[in-house]
Amino acid sequence: MSSDIRRHDKSDILMHWFNAGCWLVLLVSGLGLIKNERLNPLGAWLPDALRSLFGGGSAGGAALLVLHEAAGVVWVLGLAWYLAVNARGARFFLREVFSVRPGDFAWLARKMGRMTLGVGGELPPQGYYNMGQKAFAQASVLGGAAIALTGLVLLLSAKVLPASATGLVGWAVTLHYLAVGLVFAGLLVHIYMAAVSPEERPGLRSMFTGHVPEDYARHHHGLWLDALEKDALENSAQDKDGPGAGENG
Amino acid sequence: MSAQKLAMVIDSARCIDCKGCLAACKQANHVSRGTWRNWVKEAAPPVENGPGGSRKLGRGHFQPGACMHCDEPTCVAACPTGATYKNAADGTVVIDPRLCIGCGNCIAACPYGARFRDPEKRIADKCDYCPERRAAGLSPACVDTCPTRARVFGDINDPDSDAAKLLAANQGKVVRIIARQKDTRPNMYYIASTAPQGWTVQPADPLSFDFLAGVVAPAVRWAVGLSGLGVLVMLGRQLMAGAGPAAGPGQEKKEDGHE
Ligand code: HEM
Repeated sequence: MSSDIRRHDKSDILMHWFNAGCWLVLLVSGLGLIKNERLNPLGAWLPDALRSLFGGGSAGGAALLVLHEAAGVVWVLGLAWYLAVNARGARFFLREVFSVRPGDFAWLARKMGRMTLGVGGELPPQGYYNMGQKAFAQASVLGGAAIALTGLVLLLSAKVLPASATGLVGWAVTLHYLAVGLVFAGLLVHIYMAAVSPEERPGLRSMFTGHVPEDYARHHHGLWLDALEKDALENSAQDKDGPGAGENG
Repeated sequence: MSAQKLAMVIDSARCIDCKGCLAACKQANHVSRGTWRNWVKEAAPPVENGPGGSRKLGRGHFQPGACMHCDEPTCVAACPTGATYKNAADGTVVIDPRLCIGCGNCIAACPYGARFRDPEKRIADKCDYCPERRAAGLSPACVDTCPTRARVFGDINDPDSDAAKLLAANQGKVVRIIARQKDTRPNMYYIASTAPQGWTVQPADPLSFDFLAGVVAPAVRWAVGLSGLGVLVMLGRQLMAGAGPAAGPGQEKKEDGHE
């Protein structure tokens, strides 16, 4: 077995699973809060069934609302905690996720073709994240921000906002639904790629251990490994030039 | 159809505009300052030509009203959470204050202007036919207080109720007030005649709600459907490859042709 490479910090791992847990609770409780003939994603039976778990009817809905609001606040506090303890990790993540390189779109199109139809050319090398991961991460970051902001408006609506704010509240509902819907569409693929597809098994393991095998990193994230090796070379060169120089993490 | 159908039958010719019903409602329901759950509308008496070129006042008309607990409530259709709904047992249109998020859709959706956002509770409010008083065997406060018995309340599915009897006695003379373009099938019945008319508004959904229901919800359904389909196709390929000879690691090598 080749040597392992560190991919995720403990706080990254904690944040990822905390976020995933919050999403599960918020998604399920949120589905129970939508009850309108024109909006029900799967029919009225879904909110009815979820509400019946919490006492049924509008009282069950009210209990779900309390749960949803509490989970939303916990989620935002968790995100804030991560930004506080690992601002550097967050900055690295954002930089990686939003830097799209030439070849990334070809990678995405070919990868999608290969995974679904079995056609598609050579895959251009990818960095710390591949373009699929980047696309989903961009959606989660932007969608997450929209969800948190509109959620805040909805939370405050019946607590502090004046009647003149109903226009704002109405649009907050619309955007909240849109952002959750789009991130959820991406989430289906994310969960398949991360947890079900056999190719990414080492990636899944890394979300627990923090490490990936070197050959996996070379095959899947070649540019990342190249950059790590270049850094290591420069560091050792600097170390020879003068001790103490070039420490980075 | 609900088992009961609570309704109000109003002989508006009896109304003397004392506004006792407004005060009683506010008092019984602790309605916030500056807001009212019910009303008395008035048609000013017309000036008519009398004999010999003289002029005189005709008859005015007072029309008591409140939420009409419609059978096809546009407010319910506009509520995203189901906080406002038609009570299956008694036919009233109810607001569960715990589930209302104060989005205001129902306010614009009501053709009668019966709803408002309570400035203190910050959620929608309107007439609920006084459930606490009904539970205690009393009529709604506005009905109880009316000195001329202009407002009569009861279950019109029960032929022995006062309201049903009054309706039966006035068959063919019963008037409802409906918005010009939309009959929400209100359960407030007026006897013989009523005025003013034409004060209802066209029920409207806020743009944010029409956009949500008409564009966002279908778009999300498509996005999730396509993505789900993609996952199923990928899963199918994975399972078929798994059944074939070149399973597992072999495929992984093939996928990584970019060294
Ligand atoms: C059962 C649920 C989930 C599983 C099994 C899962 C698994 C994983 C794994 C294994 C990775 C690491 C990929 C790598 O670094 O190579 C990852 C990354 C990530 N996860 Fe999840 N995840 C789940 C739910 C979620 C949810 C609910 C969200 C947010 C809405 C989310 C957002 C992300 C993001 C933004 C990344 C980094 C970028 C990427 O890899 O696409 N995950 N996930």
